Amino acid sequence: MPNRIIVLLKWIVFPLCLLPLALLVWYGVHQNLSADPVAEITHVTGRWALVFILISLAVTPVRRLHPRLGWLIRFRRMLGLYAFFYASLHLCTYVFLFSDLDVPGALANLQAHDWAGFRAQWAVPIATMKDDILRRKFIQVGLFAWCLLLLLALTSPAWIMRRMGGRRWSRLHALVYVAAIAGAVHFWWLVKPGVLRPLPYTLALAVLLLARIAWWLQKKLRRGGIPAPVKVQQPGLS
Amino acid sequence: MEGLVKQPRTFDIDSILRYRPIEERVYRFRCVEAWSMVVPWDGYPLSEFIKACDPLPSAKYVQFLSLHDSKQMPELGSSGFSGPYSEGLRMDEAMNPLTLLTLGLYGEVLPNQDGAPIRVIVPWKYGFKSAKSIVKVRFVDKQPPTTWNNMAPDEYGFYSNVNPSVDHPRWSQKTERRLTGSFFPQIKQTLPFNGYGNEVAALYNGMDLRKYY
Repeated sequence: MPNRIIVLLKWIVFPLCLLPLALLVWYGVHQNLSADPVAEITHVTGRWALVFILISLAVTPVRRLHPRLGWLIRFRRMLGLYAFFYASLHLCTYVFLFSDLDVPGALANLQAHDWAGFRAQWAVPIATMKDDILRRKFIQVGLFAWCLLLLLALTSPAWIMRRMGGRRWSRLHALVYVAAIAGAVHFWWLVKPGVLRPLPYTLALAVLLLARIAWWLQKKLRRGGIPAPVKVQQPGLS
Repeated sequence: MEGLVKQPRTFDIDSILRYRPIEERVYRFRCVEAWSMVVPWDGYPLSEFIKACDPLPSAKYVQFLSLHDSKQMPELGSSGFSGPYSEGLRMDEAMNPLTLLTLGLYGEVLPNQDGAPIRVIVPWKYGFKSAKSIVKVRFVDKQPPTTWNNMAPDEYGFYSNVNPSVDHPRWSQKTERRLTGSFFPQIKQTLPFNGYGNEVAALYNGMDLRKYY
């Protein structure tokens, strides 16, 4: 694939990935985000964070399907950063809209340059968030996944990869598997019993992980890392 | 209508609609998932209907069973509900004047999604206690099995009175997001019994509401 076309494609894919956010803003402006906009924003941003992790994890398996698909690797960082982007929007929704912050009050404080009042507005949400982080498993595992994505996003530039060395960088970025699993667990732990919404995402993740395990085993076998079963001559039978 | 009654009966919807004058009741509605709304419901006290059912003195609880029709409700299959949605109240709760047999909201008949044609509204309890699309009322002597309590007893108690001091395992019940139609939610302190303590707290005298959440 010529470089020129890849650059062109990037110009298409980049805004395309912003489409979920654009739709959210569009529906928000037109008062069409269900009766409970905060819940809707939380669901949409969380879901797309997970979807982008899955798409970025699909790059390698798809490349292996055919030698001519190698160029797809050039989109992986962008997709991974979009996962971080939507996960961060998801976290911001929680911090600003879900944690008991009085947003209109805080905005009024800001406009009036009432910094003490603004700071005071945060007392309740900070207590709520502390309580959540200490007591609620699904919050803990979700925050953990976001921290991993933050680490991966910070170490995503090419110059950091060069400085770290490919091997160490790859080993660090294998944490994306942990983040993906943590994201799926977060989803399962927050839905009420009987709700199977996380299932398709979990199945997709399982397929993507199993593909890697299968390749790893295949490679081991080919290299002779795992000894092939040896036929033992049984005395007395021949 | 069946169970511990003098005579099981089937009511047609018109007779229920016309049985008593419809009054408008503006109630706070508090969902167990921490949102709330102020809604003008139309109906009459459930106690009037229960009197018409003529239950036996042995009836201690009333159970509500909702329509379970996968033709009209295509998502029933993936809901995890094995049978019809079941809710229930203790007899004194059902007879409380606040408990409303509800036939409309905002002056219109109930839309399907709000529980057409008949539901109850129990304003001091979390929303899931206010059963929708009721097709069967059963009078019983023991606490009836209820859908969400069966699915997750540690998350949804039988009583489920609004109580800011008993958290749901996954979130605090101290505050609620009041949905007003504006983009930013209004955060409100949640009140015990959703603010209807004067009317209903006496029903639970002597009960440990942390145990019977």
